[in-house]
Amino acid sequence: MERFRALFQHFQSSSESVTNGLCLLLAALTIKIYSSFDFNCPCLARYNTLYGLGLLLTPPLALFLCGLLVNRQSVVMVEEWHRPVGQRRKDAGIVRYMCSSVLQRALAAPLVWILLALLDGKCFVCAFSNSVDPEKFLDLANMTPSQVQLFLAKVPCKEDELVRDSPARKAVSRYLRCLSQRRYWSNYVDLEQKLFDETCCEHARDFAHRCVLHFFASMRGELRAWGLRRDASHLSPEPAVVPPEPPEDPEDPDSGRRKAHLRAICSREQVDGLLSSWYCSKPPLDLTASPGLWGSGLSRRAPLVAPGTTLSQHTDV
Amino acid sequence: MDKFRMIFQFLQSNQESFMNGICGIMALASAQMYSAFDFNCPCLPGYNAAYSVGILLAPPLVLFLLGLVLNNNVSMLAEEWKRPLGRRAKDPAVLRYMFCSMAQRALIAPVVWVAVTLLDGKCFLCAFCTAVPVAALGNGSLAPALPAPELARLLARVPCPEIYDGDWLLAREVAVRYLRCISQALGWSFVLLTTLLAFVVRSVRPCFTQAAFLKSKYWSHYIDIERKLFDETCTEHAKAFAKVCIQQFFEAVSHDLELGHAHGALATATAASAAHSPTDGAAEERDKLRGITDQGTMNRLLMSWHKCRPPLHLGQEQPLLSNGWAGAGPRAPRREVATYLSRV
Repeated sequence: MERFRALFQHFQSSSESVTNGLCLLLAALTIKIYSSFDFNCPCLARYNTLYGLGLLLTPPLALFLCGLLVNRQSVVMVEEWHRPVGQRRKDAGIVRYMCSSVLQRALAAPLVWILLALLDGKCFVCAFSNSVDPEKFLDLANMTPSQVQLFLAKVPCKEDELVRDSPARKAVSRYLRCLSQRRYWSNYVDLEQKLFDETCCEHARDFAHRCVLHFFASMRGELRAWGLRRDASHLSPEPAVVPPEPPEDPEDPDSGRRKAHLRAICSREQVDGLLSSWYCSKPPLDLTASPGLWGSGLSRRAPLVAPGTTLSQHTDV
Repeated sequence: MDKFRMIFQFLQSNQESFMNGICGIMALASAQMYSAFDFNCPCLPGYNAAYSVGILLAPPLVLFLLGLVLNNNVSMLAEEWKRPLGRRAKDPAVLRYMFCSMAQRALIAPVVWVAVTLLDGKCFLCAFCTAVPVAALGNGSLAPALPAPELARLLARVPCPEIYDGDWLLAREVAVRYLRCISQALGWSFVLLTTLLAFVVRSVRPCFTQAAFLKSKYWSHYIDIERKLFDETCTEHAKAFAKVCIQQFFEAVSHDLELGHAHGALATATAASAAHSPTDGAAEERDKLRGITDQGTMNRLLMSWHKCRPPLHLGQEQPLLSNGWAGAGPRAPRREVATYLSRV
């Protein structure tokens, strides 16, 4: 109770703190209105975008105007701006200061609404469900374009029988919800780093495996050759660190998979070049960019790079 | 309780914030009333629209009138509007200002009701369920087979899930979503429009009629304060009048009792002189009476205040309690005296 009284007295102490109090009150009211507002996506092709974007932008505009209305300083500012000069000259700096302070306070409630709407994600899902690329989701590949549009329009409506329990709907919904959250990109960076470490581990494991196999194979070769030299053979295959093709071990059923893991990066220089490139210049966040920029086989569709090529040449991303 | 007292103190700190507080309370009451109200669409073709329009328009009207009634200044406006001209001219700009400020405050609760009704969507759904485009949203091929009254009867039941039997023609959920979406769009547009209008009125007005506005505001406040001060002064006078009256009564009674023991004119004279010798407290009270010591005079004063308000010009000594009640100037008595003297 004492705290409440002290708060009240603090807010009454000056007109500026009264306006600050009103600003906070309006922000709290915004949160209350948002939580009690029953979001109702129409789930129809053209209406979704209008509804979603309208709900994202109209209430903030109305709240901004409310913020200007409750602030008495806005009227004072306009009066000062328009008064005749008389015997007191006008200072434009004062009007500018009042304008900026009024605008700052009035922007609080709209920003709260937009933040809530984006973090919640329903607006975004409703507005952009039709703009999702159907190729990203395998289930949609079998439908005609108009069916796809109908399906996508109904994604925000979980109860509709067309989309109920559909994994594609859940995937699309989750994908869209992710897009609207501010934490997506920080999550992305985190995930990317983890995936990169995992991929490096896999690569290192396979590299080591191949190295060891190769070593043993070359040892066998050497022993055979040593045996053959006794038989006056002049062939002495040098153990190559970088064979043109990694030796196939017919007894290893996973050899093909492991080859894929290596992604044609089979030398220390190549690995060093890749790691320094990853650190110095991360690739753009655009998966549709030409894979030639990478110059490596990290993208599956890229051709295998000839061994010996260093990646540091391809850092012009 | 303490909290309410504090809130009241804050609101009463000045008149304007008090009125703003009343507005806020009415707006909250309006929203609360809507949520407590049990909306009950009749789901019959002819009745839906009438019920919905009634719910949309009748409570706002009631709230508007209530807002005017709760505003203390309504009686002030009526008084200023209806008083006889007397010696003070009436300024229509002041009356307009008073009416506008009261109407603006009284409009907040109805606007909140309409906005909440549209944003909720049940009213709109009830009113327009028979106008849903079945061809676009449902099985359009089956719609022409139905006669119009049958279609209307079917669609009128959309707001009532427990009796709706038209899923073969149009999924109820689709129709509800469609209508609620439109209702919410209308609701937000309404809110935006009203805030825009209020903003324009409040912010653009100082650009145009600022001087006239300041004048109207001042005289409106003046009339309010004058009325309050007059009431206070009358109350003070009434208190003093009552005190003196009662004192006199008690003194008379006590002297009557004394007279019972002593007799004669001497006793009466003593009683009379005693009655007329004021004590210190009584003197103060008599001062407060300001010379108005009988009912007739007081009645004349009150009548004069209503019928002939004094001019807004301080510093003029004008006798009121004379023949010139209805506004005649002070010249008549003086002229009489002069004429009389000259004859001598």
